[in-house]
Amino acid sequence: MSRFFKAGSDSESETESSEDDEIIQQRPSAAPVQSRTFQFSDDEDDSRRIVRSAKDKRFDEMTNIIQQMKNHKQIKDMANVLNDFEALIKAADKAKKVIQEEGVPRFFIRCLFDLEEYANECWEDKEWRKSISKNNSKSFTSLRQKLKKYIREKYEKEVNDYKENPDQGDDDKRDETPAPQDEESEDEVDTSVKAPVKPKLPAPPVIKKQLPKSMDDDDDDDDDIDWDSSDDSVESDIDDEQFDTGKLTAEYFLKKSDSGTSKKEKKRKEPKQMKLEETDEEGDWEEVKGGAPLIMERPKMFGKDQEINVDAVLKKLYEITSARGKKGTDRNEQIELLKELREIAETNNLGLGIDVKLYFNIIGAIFDYNPNTLTSMRNDVWESCLSYLQTLLNILIDHPEVNVGEHIKEDDENLTEAPLYVRGCFLTLVEKMDEEFTKMLQSCDAHSTEYVERLQDERQVCDILEKTLRYLEIKGTTLEISRIYLKRIEHLYYKFDTSCVYTGDNEPKKEGTSEQTMDKLCKFLYTSETPDRLRTRAILCHIYHHALHNRWFQARDLMLMSHLQDNIGHSDIPTQLLYNRTLVQLGLCAFRQGNIRDAHNALVDIQSSNRAKELLAQGLLPNRQNERTPEQEKIEKRRLFPYHMHINLELLECVYLVSAMLLEIPFMAAHEMDVRRRMISKNFHHVMKMSERQTLIGPPESMREHVVAASKSMKTGDWKACKNFIINDKMNAKVWDLFFQPDKVRDMITVKIQEESLRTYLFTYSNVYDTLSLHTLAEMFELDMSVVHRIISKMIINEELMASLAEPTQTVIMHRTEPSRLQSLALQLSDKFLTLVENNERILEVKQGIYPFQNKRDRNDRQPGTSAAFQHHTQGVVEGEGYGPPTSKSVTNNQHWNRRNNKNYSRESRNY
Amino acid sequence: MATRKQRAPVQYVQLDGLVVLKLIKHCQEEGAGGTDLVQGVLLGLVVDNRLEITNCFPFPRHSEDQEDFNEVQYQMEMMRNLRHVNIDHLHVGWYQSTYFGTFINRPLIDSQYNYQDSIEESVVLIYDPLKTTQGFLSVKAYRLTPAMMKFHSENDFTTENITKHGMTFDKMFEEIPVVTKNSHLVNSLLCNLEEKDKEADKFNFLDLATSSMLQKNLRQLMECVDATTMDINKYLNCQRQIMRQQQAKQQYLQKRQQDNAMRAQRGEPPLPEEDLNKLFKPLQSPPRLDCLLYSGQIDNYCQQISSFSTQSLGKLFMAESLQNDGQSN
Repeated sequence: MSRFFKAGSDSESETESSEDDEIIQQRPSAAPVQSRTFQFSDDEDDSRRIVRSAKDKRFDEMTNIIQQMKNHKQIKDMANVLNDFEALIKAADKAKKVIQEEGVPRFFIRCLFDLEEYANECWEDKEWRKSISKNNSKSFTSLRQKLKKYIREKYEKEVNDYKENPDQGDDDKRDETPAPQDEESEDEVDTSVKAPVKPKLPAPPVIKKQLPKSMDDDDDDDDDIDWDSSDDSVESDIDDEQFDTGKLTAEYFLKKSDSGTSKKEKKRKEPKQMKLEETDEEGDWEEVKGGAPLIMERPKMFGKDQEINVDAVLKKLYEITSARGKKGTDRNEQIELLKELREIAETNNLGLGIDVKLYFNIIGAIFDYNPNTLTSMRNDVWESCLSYLQTLLNILIDHPEVNVGEHIKEDDENLTEAPLYVRGCFLTLVEKMDEEFTKMLQSCDAHSTEYVERLQDERQVCDILEKTLRYLEIKGTTLEISRIYLKRIEHLYYKFDTSCVYTGDNEPKKEGTSEQTMDKLCKFLYTSETPDRLRTRAILCHIYHHALHNRWFQARDLMLMSHLQDNIGHSDIPTQLLYNRTLVQLGLCAFRQGNIRDAHNALVDIQSSNRAKELLAQGLLPNRQNERTPEQEKIEKRRLFPYHMHINLELLECVYLVSAMLLEIPFMAAHEMDVRRRMISKNFHHVMKMSERQTLIGPPESMREHVVAASKSMKTGDWKACKNFIINDKMNAKVWDLFFQPDKVRDMITVKIQEESLRTYLFTYSNVYDTLSLHTLAEMFELDMSVVHRIISKMIINEELMASLAEPTQTVIMHRTEPSRLQSLALQLSDKFLTLVENNERILEVKQGIYPFQNKRDRNDRQPGTSAAFQHHTQGVVEGEGYGPPTSKSVTNNQHWNRRNNKNYSRESRNY
Repeated sequence: MATRKQRAPVQYVQLDGLVVLKLIKHCQEEGAGGTDLVQGVLLGLVVDNRLEITNCFPFPRHSEDQEDFNEVQYQMEMMRNLRHVNIDHLHVGWYQSTYFGTFINRPLIDSQYNYQDSIEESVVLIYDPLKTTQGFLSVKAYRLTPAMMKFHSENDFTTENITKHGMTFDKMFEEIPVVTKNSHLVNSLLCNLEEKDKEADKFNFLDLATSSMLQKNLRQLMECVDATTMDINKYLNCQRQIMRQQQAKQQYLQKRQQDNAMRAQRGEPPLPEEDLNKLFKPLQSPPRLDCLLYSGQIDNYCQQISSFSTQSLGKLFMAESLQNDGQSN
């Protein structure tokens, strides 16, 4: 590389700045170079389909536009130049992020600079301006303005830099031919473009030689060595030529070399394409059958004159199956071969034994098809698998003389004579099929039609399961029966069967409901000798099924009888997940039945962690503490339940929050004065607190906001508002309509809200009443007199309400023994002082640590004294509030109250 | 120091009626009914053993974002202007309103220290607007005791220093009796007004605003107790740490001694002495001033509560006897 080349290679900028005639002279020479290169790089794009970095992609886009612009500039097509410029700006905008990281690309600045120069030039050329069409001149003026504005706004500094130091760009120029290609591929090229020190120039080929290799590596995972090497040679050829073009020698412009490269390109492209197609066909990343194909003689299964008998077929079968699992075996091919073999066997009437054996092998091969346990089957494979299973199953059922089993050894197989013995376990195949089915459902988007299509196979799967079940009931062992029973159960338990919902009427029991089926299957599993895991799962499914169909008591009793709560932690994770699901379903059932506390207790564990989604295996949550490894994630993904088995999470949360509200609000009202606020539901408090933190509380939108608003109105005893917040169109659509018989649930909720509001009201406002008429209360809360009576009596018995009922007048007489605020404050204060004193004494202990015995005695002496003093103190406050000579009644009340308080304390102290 | 010895310390504070009215007005207008604190400057003179406070002016309220506001400049300006109209312009302290007697805290101590440091006779007037609305004008004058001044000047609030100074919570402030004095003209005006006011017989002194007042006091007392407990806990933890460190130190020293003894037996030179303080950095014990302040505050609350309940009890007895009278009649 000498100076000569630098001078000889006419850079774009030089051309622009030089005289007009020069441009005309030199442009044609520059143009082909450019266009060729770009074609070339385009080709590359098509053939490779590689994943490129964002930077490469963006810069490529920009260079393409710049190239087009250059062409348009030559013919002075201003309209198009303007278009190009706008496109370029857009592209630059898109590449903003990349630019921020990498700095403004040189070629872009150069282009801007050139364009500016070009515009100025054209502007000077008044004659030309007059001559051009109106459209063109309009475009030109607007281009000029836009360009100026753009440069001024964004890249003024860079362009000025470039202006001052254009020779750097000139150096660039020389490299320009390879440059675009470089930019699309690797970072290091950047340096070679930007710092083209002369002696360095021979370096690029080396870089480029490595380049395609690395790309290839990206291209297919199982890097094919054969291809790589050939690629390499071709590529290096090209590179050499390519690099020659950098010299801009005369030969370069000859057409020959041009076409030569492109030809080679094409050659390269073709096999690549083929390969791509192949891999597409496979639908998977797997070993492409490479150089030495193992089964080339596929069309000829047997020699023409070879006698086809059982032995020959078996031999062939072994031949085929022995290739199984080996590297380089085409699994597709294998399946096809086996199918063909079976057909041959069938046409030659080799008997049932062979047929069954071959079926086993085919299905096995199909399951083998995916080397990876994570990917699911393709649809067509799956369908064929199902149909094969069906046929095999039919054969087995139709011909009870065929004995199948894993226990039969290969040597003991009898494929020809009457009691046929074939090795192979149909149950295992069925289980595998079920697994595959789940996997397929997991792999497709739950909201697509594809999912629905797949789900339609559920019927078929169940069909197979049922048939197998019947078959095994006759032929199988207990264990096998248990396994198939469990499979059947697992396909049954989550499905809602309207025919077996307990309605309370004395309807004649229908036959064949899923309840009965479940009952039968599960009871078999409970009684027979089965592994614990199967039994546990069966129980859980059974409970789930009961709960789903509103059979609350059966479900609860079964749950309690099973004692699963105690040892579920020791079981495997899928079973634990099933337990979670069951628990949730149990909670929902309890809610529907109006057992609010049970519902709350069942749901609290799942809901309080805020990870319901994860606990129910309905989706992965981002893990905050530690990122899970890909393997972990894969494992977790495999555990997820398919979408159709999901439990609605919003429903779950709503039910939880509503039950928490019904429990917590009266509780809060009752324990307003307590020193330490205990809470029933932390989650509920959290939700409430979150809403309190908001500066502006609008009308409720989400489910949560509805519940919060309802809770707030319940606090004031406004049951109507509360009900309207919980039960309205929005909530119906979101939550309640998801229940079976939503009206019943809504009625239940309404009644509960009325009752709990009444309780809250009494707790909150009892201190402002002397007496309260039951009638008024009943009217206020639209409840029956008897209900109100019941609730109040209960509260009095539980010592929640200090009052008595006056039967003749139907009124509640308040006793006013609740501690006033002042009293409770005083109590709190005394409590605090106690801790203070204790702490103080501890300081003393530290100080006097040397005499522990003396100190201890000291403390013991002091302790009762202080506590007695405080007791006295509290007593004083309590009685001092009496405002007058204590009547006998108030004394008793005081005593009573004190007792209650003492009880509270003792309870509290137990809690500590 | 010299001046203090020469002049007898201020025995009582003589408040001008004007000051009281201005104070009340300021608090009423800007203190949002007593909940916000207001502050201002007291002007007056020391005469013999009394401090006469004859005028005051409020600190203007300014929000946090008005950084450029210069308080000192404002005060100087104000005093200069007052001087022009021939009003006492000597700075003798400051006043502050309080909410339920919450005033014993760090900022008050600090600023009072600064005042007393520069103007020896200065006092702080604490005005309780809530009590005033109840009918008891409550203006109290406080100043830091000389012991407290000394203690504060050392700026070392460790336990040792406290014991050294014998500081306790009740020795921090001393209250100075306040006398309100009006000029004769004003007195005669008041007499005039009294005569004109015919409807002054409506007493509501039997009003028992007991519960809310007591409740609030109790609440604040509780807060204070909580704070004290926290403080004590902190102190306790620190004590424990120190103990632990001491033990470690002892162990280390013993080991060192043993090693040295062994070495001496073997005839080797003893191990070089290392700086123990580097190995065991002396732990900073938490400052105890806050605890003192909390205690003072608790004391203050307790006094308030007891005085309040005493009054209430008195009222109750009065009410009882009145009631009995009414019944017997």
